[in-house]
Amino acid sequence: MISGNYLAKRLCYSGAAFFVSVTITFFLLHLMPGDYITNYLLSLTNALPKETVMQFYHQFGLDLPLTEQYLLYISNILQGHWGYSYAYSVPVFSLIVEKLSWSLVLLIPATILGILIGTVLGARSGWKSGGKKDLALFNIMIAIRAIPEFWWAIMAVMVFAFYLKWFPLGGYTSISILTSGISIPDVLYHAVLPIALMTFFIATGNYYVMRNSMISVIGEEYITTARAKGLDERGILWNHALKNALLPMITITTFQFAAIIMGNVFIETVFSWPGIGLLTTEALRMRDLPLLEGIFLLDTFLSIAAMLVADVLSSLIDPRIRMGKDV
Amino acid sequence: MSRKIILWVSVAVLCAYIAIALCAPLLTPYSPTEITGAALQSPGAGHPLGTNDLGQDIFSQLVYGARITLLFGFCSALLAVLISTSVGIVIGYYGGLLDEIVSRAIDIFMPIPMFPLLIVLTAFFSPGVLQISLLMGILGSIYGIRIIRAQVLSIAQTNFVEGARAIGASDFHIMSRHILPNVMPVVMMKFVSSSQRMLVMGVGLSFIGLWDTTTVDWGTMIQNSYTSGGMALGLWWWLLPPGIAVIGISLALALIGYSFEEKFNPRVGVNRI
Repeated sequence: MISGNYLAKRLCYSGAAFFVSVTITFFLLHLMPGDYITNYLLSLTNALPKETVMQFYHQFGLDLPLTEQYLLYISNILQGHWGYSYAYSVPVFSLIVEKLSWSLVLLIPATILGILIGTVLGARSGWKSGGKKDLALFNIMIAIRAIPEFWWAIMAVMVFAFYLKWFPLGGYTSISILTSGISIPDVLYHAVLPIALMTFFIATGNYYVMRNSMISVIGEEYITTARAKGLDERGILWNHALKNALLPMITITTFQFAAIIMGNVFIETVFSWPGIGLLTTEALRMRDLPLLEGIFLLDTFLSIAAMLVADVLSSLIDPRIRMGKDV
Repeated sequence: MSRKIILWVSVAVLCAYIAIALCAPLLTPYSPTEITGAALQSPGAGHPLGTNDLGQDIFSQLVYGARITLLFGFCSALLAVLISTSVGIVIGYYGGLLDEIVSRAIDIFMPIPMFPLLIVLTAFFSPGVLQISLLMGILGSIYGIRIIRAQVLSIAQTNFVEGARAIGASDFHIMSRHILPNVMPVVMMKFVSSSQRMLVMGVGLSFIGLWDTTTVDWGTMIQNSYTSGGMALGLWWWLLPPGIAVIGISLALALIGYSFEEKFNPRVGVNRI
């Protein structure tokens, strides 16, 4: 079981990681050529009277000493005040939260489907490893993974949307939104192709983990024991091998959820889906530093949370994992 | 047997790519940024793959693009492997306080997602391709340090290291002559697999516009063609060649990587029931 000591240590490291990230973003904002306000006002208007500019400086606390600004920055981050985007002239936090919900429309179904498909295929492949079917599947997976995500996305748009016209070319809704408002079937129709592609990628990733995990479980003595007892192969697979082989999947799955926020940059960009990924691409093209830093902080936060959840979950499920020694 | 054939074909493909990148000026008379004639020409004499929307020769861009794409992938991977090997060996061998400090620092840096950090740093510094690849090498080395360290810890306990120490070999001698050759298989494996990942990543990053569009590499070529509707106009020779080029090198590196892994990592080995 997880020890309180271990959990406390883990929390300390997580806190430190977040602190390091926040420090990086703070210093980058301050080292930026031209300061935050000048750049921000530039996006509003060029010719503001000096008093107004000074007022902004005061309002943003930029006339304070650096140490005080730093403390202020950290407390602001913790309270959800993540600064203003240059390009959109809106608070970064609310922008990110809005886009995140659009990303989740793709992410949640794709992750669930991808995990299911990847686990089933990986388990089958690992159980019969070395067989013809396993090797064929394994080689296909290597080939799929070697081709860049955005290339698959471009090809899918070209074939299914442009030539076959089965799906829309991109975006999240049809032009009818102007007259009849947003309709859920229409959004789903736009989401099918990107979700299918993301499922495809998540499944191949999970396939590897599950296959390797299965292969190492098969070598364990309790499988030999089960065979010696004369249990049928199907029973061993379901009751003995699969349960144990699933353990590494917990870590992978929680991680995937955090990493994929950035991982779907390419798919969202190709499909013009208005989520965090497309926002990242746009912010990068416009060199919108506060917005990019906000996305970075969000992702750091998600990764840290995922790591904690994965640790706690896997130690709850498998009491053999004795934590507190190896960290 | 067929595994061996796949490995050798992959190595041959890799060598061909490197040769093309090195001999770029011999293969094509045009510079990749030179405007050579009318825009959007079809493939024909003089322009084997036609011209793009600015009238630049697509074949020249493809050939010169290999330089940037390969350079990016190999530079980042080389730096990542160099850092993780040297740091991993030193902290694994000496242990103690140094190991403690570096390991704890890695624990802290591990959950920080590298891809968005790279994007933030790029937006801040607006660096060139080579600097971005160095940055990526540094960021990408963190996880490798752990792997190498774990390997070194078990090697440092072996008899031959004890023996070398007993006859008075210096620490540097032990690390370079006894420990390094033993972690070399893992290092090679890491190098091949990270070159593949970094190369594909580099193409992806240039596709979303990480560096300025005047740099000609396969990512910007794909991006230009895709956003200017090259495929919608039926100009397949504009979009497909850079994509196929990326797939070729990435597949070759991935297959070499798996062959290595099967050879050196018994856990991935195929066991028959």
